[in-house]
Amino acid sequence: MKSKTGLPVTYDSTRRGSVVFEELREILNYRYLILQLVRRDILTRYKRSILGVAWTMLNPLGMMLVWTIAFSQIFKSASLPAYPAFALNGLLAWTFFSQTTTASMVNLVWGGGLLNRIYIPRVSFALAAMGTGLVNMLLSLVPLAVVMLVTGMPFTWTLIFVPVTILIIGAFALGVGLLISTWAVYFPDIAEMYQIVLTAWMFLTPIMYPEEILPQAYRIYITMLNPMYHMVKLFRIPIYYARLPTLMEFLVPLSISLIVLILGWVVFSRKSDEFAYRI
Amino acid sequence: MNLHTGYKLMSDISSPVPTDQDIIQLENVSVEYRVPQERIGTFKEYMIRLLEGRVKHRNFNALNKVSINVRRGEVFGLIGPNGAGKSTLLKLVARVLRPTHGRVRVMGRVAPLLEVGAGFHPELTGRENIFLNGAMLGFSREQMQEKFPRIVEFSELGDFIDAPLRTYSSGMSARLGFAVATDTQPDILIVDEILSVGDEAFQHKSFERIQAIKAQGATILLVSHAMSTIESMCQRAAWLHHGQLIAVGDAEAVVAQYTGRVLENEAERLTTERKTVGANLALSQNESPSRWGNRKIEITHVHITDPSGIEQAIFNTGQPLILQIDYEAHEHIQAPVFGIAIYRQDGIHITGPNTTQAGLTLPTIDGPGRITYEIASLPLLEGLYSFSIAVVSQNENEIFDYHDRIYPFRVTNRDAHIKERYGLLTLGGKWKFDATQLMEHK
Repeated sequence: MKSKTGLPVTYDSTRRGSVVFEELREILNYRYLILQLVRRDILTRYKRSILGVAWTMLNPLGMMLVWTIAFSQIFKSASLPAYPAFALNGLLAWTFFSQTTTASMVNLVWGGGLLNRIYIPRVSFALAAMGTGLVNMLLSLVPLAVVMLVTGMPFTWTLIFVPVTILIIGAFALGVGLLISTWAVYFPDIAEMYQIVLTAWMFLTPIMYPEEILPQAYRIYITMLNPMYHMVKLFRIPIYYARLPTLMEFLVPLSISLIVLILGWVVFSRKSDEFAYRI
Repeated sequence: MNLHTGYKLMSDISSPVPTDQDIIQLENVSVEYRVPQERIGTFKEYMIRLLEGRVKHRNFNALNKVSINVRRGEVFGLIGPNGAGKSTLLKLVARVLRPTHGRVRVMGRVAPLLEVGAGFHPELTGRENIFLNGAMLGFSREQMQEKFPRIVEFSELGDFIDAPLRTYSSGMSARLGFAVATDTQPDILIVDEILSVGDEAFQHKSFERIQAIKAQGATILLVSHAMSTIESMCQRAAWLHHGQLIAVGDAEAVVAQYTGRVLENEAERLTTERKTVGANLALSQNESPSRWGNRKIEITHVHITDPSGIEQAIFNTGQPLILQIDYEAHEHIQAPVFGIAIYRQDGIHITGPNTTQAGLTLPTIDGPGRITYEIASLPLLEGLYSFSIAVVSQNENEIFDYHDRIYPFRVTNRDAHIKERYGLLTLGGKWKFDATQLMEHK
């Protein structure tokens, strides 16, 4: 659109169609920024350590080792062979989620006040957080493959379904990340609280233990009503269980993801104009 | 500045009609922050208070119904004290803030120099930071690859380009930030007090670049506390105070209005300060860092006045100044010596005349009296100064009363016929030029 001066009206504070779509349009213009932010996060995280990015792979391995030592005897049963592979498989899905959500909140609230200095689309912070989580997740697939080899788990053709599951978990994490970062702008304490919530949530999700050990009476609450149960399960199906999900096993997490993502995006972009007033 | 111009300026505010040439249009813009009366840090506390209806907010207007139109290609200055809303206004133009009320329209690409190097990461190399910063400014990979060599050259970083930013000096990172932000010709350049980037050579270079950007037709929005910068660079300026637009128009006129107001405020402050000092002196019988002596003679009152005897806090260079010193001698003192000293704000001792050196020997005094010191033409140039007043014994061994730098006054050249502005004082010398004389000497 052109104004009388012949210069394009590039900005008019009163003219905005839908905030929700404007943010989407802007993020397309700034897609190179997302890449750069992800690059920054990955590069700087391990810049001073000798092993560098290798830590992204060693971290989950270490955690898996601890769990294996602690739990493998307890959960020994015919239905749970190769406990290390089971644990690591679930852990990766969880780490992807918890890293993405935490980082999107921290980047926005403590992003060095960047928000206050130059214009960048506000969702950049959360998208970059998801991008970083995604890269970490992909790198972590390497140790998972090693563990599967060592424990003698089969590699089946169902692995081609893995990217789809990663996308679904990513969308869910992005949605939750947007929701809690909106919240954290108004109440900085949310960031601290969320760490506790995450810990509790992890223990309540069958990641380090099989769902069968849950008492019948509570199982439905911890499984059906816990979105992360569906996400973790979905990620394990093509890898650990070496099969394709049933229609319900696929549709439930997919719809949760889409609903949460849309909700998060709408809430976040609606409130995003206020952020600069608050941070 | 005469009153007539002042009136014109005010009418300029009330009817801003955007024209074709206006590249930035602010119509009735308000920015309203909601500040909680008390800080509520936790969610729990907030919920409790919300339920009790005790969440009280105070509205704080960072900008209040401001209308400004900036014309295409002009350098527009923003002046005002800290907290006037200048930076808020820049943020509106840079799209960082959306106004609470009103309308902001900006035509063209804005290059923000709000804080040079915002978003740099210390662990990344200069090269990596250039691409990161460029992406934040909305450039694509291809654009950045094309710009990269020019940025490196302009920032003069040389081999440091592949060293982490934490190894850079502050000047180096400021140079890098400036180079990235100004590499592409913008339609609008926002400059917030950044002309102090790097060393002198680079300052010169950055100033030249801003001039070049201007020469190519960019509009520049400039915030500065240096009135000389505003006067020399801007065609028009706006004066903001507590979020209100006080005046907008010709830069020199607005600056004159603003400095006039600043001086008035200062006069008020100096006058109160003197009154407080006077009251404190009357009360304090003891020694203090700014007053000492045995008080055999007491300096009871000091007036700094113009020739008509009216107390003043601000003097023009070349204007007469009269210092009246009221004293009270509590016993017979033979031939005491009165002296004064003038210091500049930074502690430079400028002069220190006394009665003996002037050849005036006082008689034996007792009881109250007054001594005056008259300056026919004040030779001091613009600045903040302070008087010290003292009375000592004839041989200067005994200090009766010493008031150290507690009588401040301001010198300005605003309405002075002497327009000198360099250094400390005017010598009142006369310039003569005669070409023919020079010929004769040859």
